[in-house]
Amino acid sequence: MIMAIRIGDIEFGLNSFGDVATDGGRAMTDAESLRLLVDEAQLAESVGLDVFSIGEHYREGMVDAATPVILAAAAQATSTIRLGTSVTVLSTQDPVRLYQQFATVDALSDGRTHLVLGRASAIESFALFGYDIAEYEQIFEEKLDLFLRLMREDRVTWSGQYRTPLENVRLHPRMPDGGIPAWIGIGGSPDSVVRAARNGLPLMMAIIGGRPERFAGHAELYLRALSQFGQPELPIGQHSLGFIGDTDEDAKNTHWKHWQPVVTAMSEERGFYAPTHERYETEVATGALYVGSPETVAQKIARIVRANHLSRFDLKYDVLHLPREAREHSIRLFGERVAPRVRELLEDDPGEWHLTGRTPAEIVKGGKAAHA
Amino acid sequence: MSDFTDLEFGIDTFGDLPRDDQGTVVSYAAAIRATVAEAVLADDLGIEAVAIGEHHRPEFAISSPETVLAGIATATERIRLGSGVTVLSSDDPVRVFQRFATLDALSNGRAEIILGRGSFTESFPLFGYDLSDYELLFDEKIDLFHALLDEKPVTWEGTTRAALREADVFPKTDSGRLRTWVGVGGSPQSVIRTAHYGFRLMLAIIGGAPARFAPYVDLYRRATEQLGTTAYPVGMHSPGFIAETDEEAMEAFYPGYKVIRDRIGALRGWPPLRRSEFEADVESGSLYVGSPETVARKMATAIRTLDVGRFDLIYTAGGAMAASARLRAVELYGTKVIPMVRELLAEAPAQSAVTGEAFRR
Repeated sequence: MIMAIRIGDIEFGLNSFGDVATDGGRAMTDAESLRLLVDEAQLAESVGLDVFSIGEHYREGMVDAATPVILAAAAQATSTIRLGTSVTVLSTQDPVRLYQQFATVDALSDGRTHLVLGRASAIESFALFGYDIAEYEQIFEEKLDLFLRLMREDRVTWSGQYRTPLENVRLHPRMPDGGIPAWIGIGGSPDSVVRAARNGLPLMMAIIGGRPERFAGHAELYLRALSQFGQPELPIGQHSLGFIGDTDEDAKNTHWKHWQPVVTAMSEERGFYAPTHERYETEVATGALYVGSPETVAQKIARIVRANHLSRFDLKYDVLHLPREAREHSIRLFGERVAPRVRELLEDDPGEWHLTGRTPAEIVKGGKAAHA
Repeated sequence: MSDFTDLEFGIDTFGDLPRDDQGTVVSYAAAIRATVAEAVLADDLGIEAVAIGEHHRPEFAISSPETVLAGIATATERIRLGSGVTVLSSDDPVRVFQRFATLDALSNGRAEIILGRGSFTESFPLFGYDLSDYELLFDEKIDLFHALLDEKPVTWEGTTRAALREADVFPKTDSGRLRTWVGVGGSPQSVIRTAHYGFRLMLAIIGGAPARFAPYVDLYRRATEQLGTTAYPVGMHSPGFIAETDEEAMEAFYPGYKVIRDRIGALRGWPPLRRSEFEADVESGSLYVGSPETVARKMATAIRTLDVGRFDLIYTAGGAMAASARLRAVELYGTKVIPMVRELLAEAPAQSAVTGEAFRR
């Protein structure tokens, strides 16, 4: 079976961090919010989106602690949309369990599953699972090595510092030969960009603030590094936050109301400046917030697709306590209006979307996989 | 003594790989999808529960039961979704709670977890645990899991995982508490521990006469009484297979069962299975293999003898059987065996070997 991601195409995905929604002004329970995710995966499929992804978090108001379990439920509720993670916190997972869980989701979804692996920007999982945040870098490097070997090799003998050694181990259930597509999620570190290229893994750039065009340098670094490491051309994706409404004003009013308290709380926790409405407006106008009417958001996405050489754009659509109807409306507009409009805009003016001389690449499942 | 009106029935599988119509053993992925199809049929037929085991051996496709159960959750309406068992000793109770609370949400409150130490040992080296800590691992982890079930911040310290300080674990369930069982294979100490924590007791009876487990049921009831915990209806799970006739069922089941039994036996120092032993276990032991009537009679006797409130049939213990035969066995179980067992028990309910007092349902 071949699951091709052609660089010549642009794909659209939705990302959720399992943020608790409201229903008629009431905060939904964790359980209701989880069931809503399955409904939204179905909706995403029905409005023609390509990918639905769920994050991994360990705090109040976010229900996505057991990502593969949620994806398994979504797999059974859908038939064509691809299912992924955004991101899997590989550093505090056991690669063996992860292989087993995602092989299971891939079986249930009949080959529609992929992962985005990352170090995560939230650090709760380190204390919860007994890891030292100071070893952040080594832990990720080691676990990535093991996870890729488990996907790419039949029997694995391995030893390292952060889990027990494996002696001639063959895991079950089996993923397809070569594994399932695994992307590397980066937040801005050039080292992470080079790591993705060295390992021959597609790149997902998480751009959650500031001018997104500044990541064009990362994209170019990635493409150069791929070629230096002798790797095939691989896709670049972008994950950003956003919300789509009927008009720019509608979208901004609803989004700001829910985004402002979340980011204010985060700013206190992480020690950055609290958001002001003025800065919010700037972020929407020229930054990494994809908020507005379908036309506004489509124009903005088309620009960044050209600038950052993207073949995939993922919109993180949920915000804590955003009403479920608003989430639904935003998903519909993204699939039915924004995605077709971006494709149209790119056809009219591809700009530097395709770098000179780049040929379309495929991520091949089965046989010799380019990605894994 | 119960009147068996609340009796529940389940199907149980380890995710054995069946054969397709051409006789070829299917892939792991196809085996997982076959398990989903069987659970969907069970749900359609009104069977109350499905339980899925966790194994780390090549014979079995399922190493992550709750992931398979989440798929089943979406495809079913009523059936309870359980593990059979979750090998808690080699897992992290925090992760286990998160996965089952998620499953519980996705299934509208239908999740149940059956905790166990596992009768296989592969998971210990795979996840870096020492078999010599077998007791300690389960003791500590069941204690932490019990603490997590209150769904409030937990402070805990032990030797088998990182300490927790006021750790609030999400997601929360709607009911406020996950339905939790402990699978017990025959240790009185495990029975008492189950009673101590107020968990439900699931007896794994995979060989010999079921009557020999009567003292455990009795012990559970006495222990809950002394400890002031709830005596829930006891469950039992045993292997079996149903076809149109006794002969057909035996022929479908025996070859694959022998292969697996001998492979596991070789690891545990058992001699190869002889046909006469198999037949004796079908006749008077714990293999529920035969026509609907044969299996129903045998089940009714066991249920009466042990006074259990739940019976789970491990329907895939015949190894690489035809997928179509497996599906048919589930169908016969739901449409013929279960109604027949209920009828038999309504006729003559009281012949228990358990001596304890009546208990709360």
